[in-house]
Amino acid sequence: MTKANASTALFGSLTRWLGLAPFLLFALLFLVLPTMHIVLGAFQNPAGRFTLENVAGLADPSITGPFYVSMKISAITALLGCLIGFLLAAAVIHGGLPKALRSAVMTFSGVASNFAGVPLSFAFIATLGRLGLITVVMREVFGVNIYATGFNLISFFGLCMVYLYFQIPLMVLIITPALDGLKREWREAAECLGASGLQYWRMVAFPVLWPSLLGTFALLFANAFGAVATAMALTGSSLTIVPIKLFAQIRGDTLQNPHLGYAIAFGMIVITGIANIVYIVLRARAERWMK
Amino acid sequence: MRTPRFWSWVIFIVSLLYFFLPLAGMFEFSLRARRGVYSFDAYRNVFADPEFLATFTYSIIMALVTIVVGVLIVTPTAFWVRLKLPNARPLIEFITLLPLVIPPIVIVFGYIRLYNTSSWLPLTGSAAGTNVLLMLGYVVLSLPYMYRAVDTGLRTLDVQTLTEAAQSLGAGWGTILGRIILPNVLVAVLSGAFLTFAIVIGEYVIAALLNRPAFGPFMVWMGGNKAYEPAALAVISFGITWGCMGLIQLVTIFSRHTQAQR
Amino acid sequence: MTLTRKFIASLAAGSALAASLSVPSFGQSMDELMAAAKTEGELTVIALPHDWCGYGGVIDGFKAKYPDIKVNELNPDAGSADEIEAIKANKDNKGPQAPDVIDVGLAFGPTSKADGLTQPYKVATWAEIPDNIKDADGHWYGDYYGVMAFGVNKDLVKTMPADWADLLKPEYANSVALTGDPKASNQAILAILSAGMSRGAAPGKDSGTKGLEFMAELNKAGNFVPVSAKSGTIAQGQTPIVAAWDYNLLAWRDSLKGNPPMEVIVPKSGVLAGVYVQAISAYAPHPNAAKLWMEHLYSDEGQLAWLKGYCHPARFDAMSKAGKIPADLLAKLPPAEAYAAAVFPTVEEQGANKEVVTTGWDAMVGATVK
Repeated sequence: MTKANASTALFGSLTRWLGLAPFLLFALLFLVLPTMHIVLGAFQNPAGRFTLENVAGLADPSITGPFYVSMKISAITALLGCLIGFLLAAAVIHGGLPKALRSAVMTFSGVASNFAGVPLSFAFIATLGRLGLITVVMREVFGVNIYATGFNLISFFGLCMVYLYFQIPLMVLIITPALDGLKREWREAAECLGASGLQYWRMVAFPVLWPSLLGTFALLFANAFGAVATAMALTGSSLTIVPIKLFAQIRGDTLQNPHLGYAIAFGMIVITGIANIVYIVLRARAERWMK
Repeated sequence: MRTPRFWSWVIFIVSLLYFFLPLAGMFEFSLRARRGVYSFDAYRNVFADPEFLATFTYSIIMALVTIVVGVLIVTPTAFWVRLKLPNARPLIEFITLLPLVIPPIVIVFGYIRLYNTSSWLPLTGSAAGTNVLLMLGYVVLSLPYMYRAVDTGLRTLDVQTLTEAAQSLGAGWGTILGRIILPNVLVAVLSGAFLTFAIVIGEYVIAALLNRPAFGPFMVWMGGNKAYEPAALAVISFGITWGCMGLIQLVTIFSRHTQAQR
Repeated sequence: MTLTRKFIASLAAGSALAASLSVPSFGQSMDELMAAAKTEGELTVIALPHDWCGYGGVIDGFKAKYPDIKVNELNPDAGSADEIEAIKANKDNKGPQAPDVIDVGLAFGPTSKADGLTQPYKVATWAEIPDNIKDADGHWYGDYYGVMAFGVNKDLVKTMPADWADLLKPEYANSVALTGDPKASNQAILAILSAGMSRGAAPGKDSGTKGLEFMAELNKAGNFVPVSAKSGTIAQGQTPIVAAWDYNLLAWRDSLKGNPPMEVIVPKSGVLAGVYVQAISAYAPHPNAAKLWMEHLYSDEGQLAWLKGYCHPARFDAMSKAGKIPADLLAKLPPAEAYAAAVFPTVEEQGANKEVVTTGWDAMVGATVK
């Protein structure tokens, strides 16, 4: 290329990138910069100098406690969400149920996965709370007082139940394309070779599906970890999970140390970041089988 | 295959119970406002509450503005990437997936610290500025869904040919985007739009921490201060979400008859 | 109360106000203040639920008197610490996020003055506010008080608890709640003080420690619910028993209108009275509107509006001596005998208690999701 051609080419590629300018500016100002500000703030003390003491401050039991609880809830609801969502999706797609049920389940999953947050908590309080429909019905009709058995909606178990309401549909939505990708020919070929249903699932289907399953597990984990509105509507800001702790810190500096708030936010980003990277990597692996 | 079908039904029915019962409970609770008798009093109280109307209207307007701004930002970008910069696709996709990685509470924390009146962009210095900040926060939240929707829509078009044809007829970029690309991806855009609508109406964290009178904080406030109205609000909210998803389905079905086939 | 007596009372109030108007408060006359506030055109308040001490009526009264001033209400569910944080976070922000005035627990008054978050102002009726609940320099001043009590959902709880010790009984499993996070909410901090007092501790550091011990036992017994309780949660069943100010419980009982029925019980072992204080933010974007608001609060109209919300306003003694309190409002208040034995912890005692509770809560009790 001559000099003129080279500079025109460079100019051409510059103007091409210019077309992305509005989007990049928007993403920079309202997504990247705020996040970077928080990440950097986690490593600064009030005087503005670099310090690791905020991150070290995360080791305090009043913070590791919520992190542990959050991770436990996220892991359990992700695991159960994966399991139950997979079973439901498999039942509806490959289980021999009427075709109409599949689209009904898909539509409802779309609704339920977005029904998270405040109204979901209200729905569960109205159903399983002390004066909820099921509690009352169990007491009046079956003579069973579920609260006497130690059940409580405002407990780890109760919160998991509520979270599953949007985790399971999310799993159904994401795993459906993967399940669709299980070609019928493979099943028939396996049967020709004498495999039972269980052997088919164990040796053919699962190896194909496991990247999707694990990847979606990671996504569900990140989803539950960052959920704040549901828990807040259920309990107000006294539950010890990380997002609520951060919320209380932003609102009322309950930790009496603003930069510790940055550190907590940074911790959240790290955990959800790792989970999402796992998801992306595994999804790329899974897509090999889709071709 | 007898056995699998039996287990399929078992799984389906158990799931049905799990998903249906909270909805039934929520509806039943909302009817209990009058002691001993079922009535729609809770709904009447909700609709008569001026706060409900104010916050609901606020959130609807926010949602509409978010959708418009989102479309204006995302459509030209997706179009440009498809047309001129396919190498940039991974970068853009990565950026659009960031809102799913970074929890919204962290994003709004960043906004509060970064855009207060002592910064170069003092958005929280006025009610109008904070509204703009909130709207941009919503656009960020809806970015993954909007981009995915528009991108899927563009995938079915032959963007290259359409653009060249339009340019050879003398169309400028504005005309190309507005009169050729947008109508063809309208269906995809609408899907993204309805999803954005559902997200914005129910959103809580960003609105609460920016102290804006949106529907999400109003619902949480109701949850603590009223007995039966929160359940009524939940029913209304569920109805709206269901409506949005239903509209997406409708629009997708309708599109199969009208979209330009390749 | 007949019309003539009311009329005479209002005449008396009016003339008293007129008399006080001629006394300049901090160098500004009422007219100058009104004009300056009108120019500012806006007032930002925080943490004022409408059913707390009848604040709804107070705000409406202010809006009716000064229609040119827009009242911007932030976060009604904020606790005292949240209000302080809102001032701190908005030091450089003159926008609608920055509160002009705060209403916080007594213990939070001196600490905010020490942190430089308040500016001094003495209302026209300053002299009628008791000395032990106001800052000599005018940075903070007591506004109202009530006593700590239990609110019980009668649909869910069959035997009413009479005292803090009863709450540990197994029949109250998963029933007892506070109104907020004890690290931020003054109401919760003082509930813990009251619990400590029921164990024989004197108000102050001792009540903080014994109160936390009680809460730890309550939590361990499985009776404590980590939910921020309000009228909604009482009615919906998550928090059948709540420790809160009597004025709040009475207001909630009224709003629920018997569906479900609610009982308000003052603990037998000790009647704890809690005072709240008003303060103007040092960084208030609208200082004159803030001062006008204070004048409104401490005017007879403002004080009676609080009385309507079941609170005892700061000028209660002076006003009742002057006969300014209508008999029908007095009748609706909780009986005076309960208040006769009330303990009013001093500023220092409350401060010591607050210190112990806010720093020790997570470690000692740290209500986790079990």
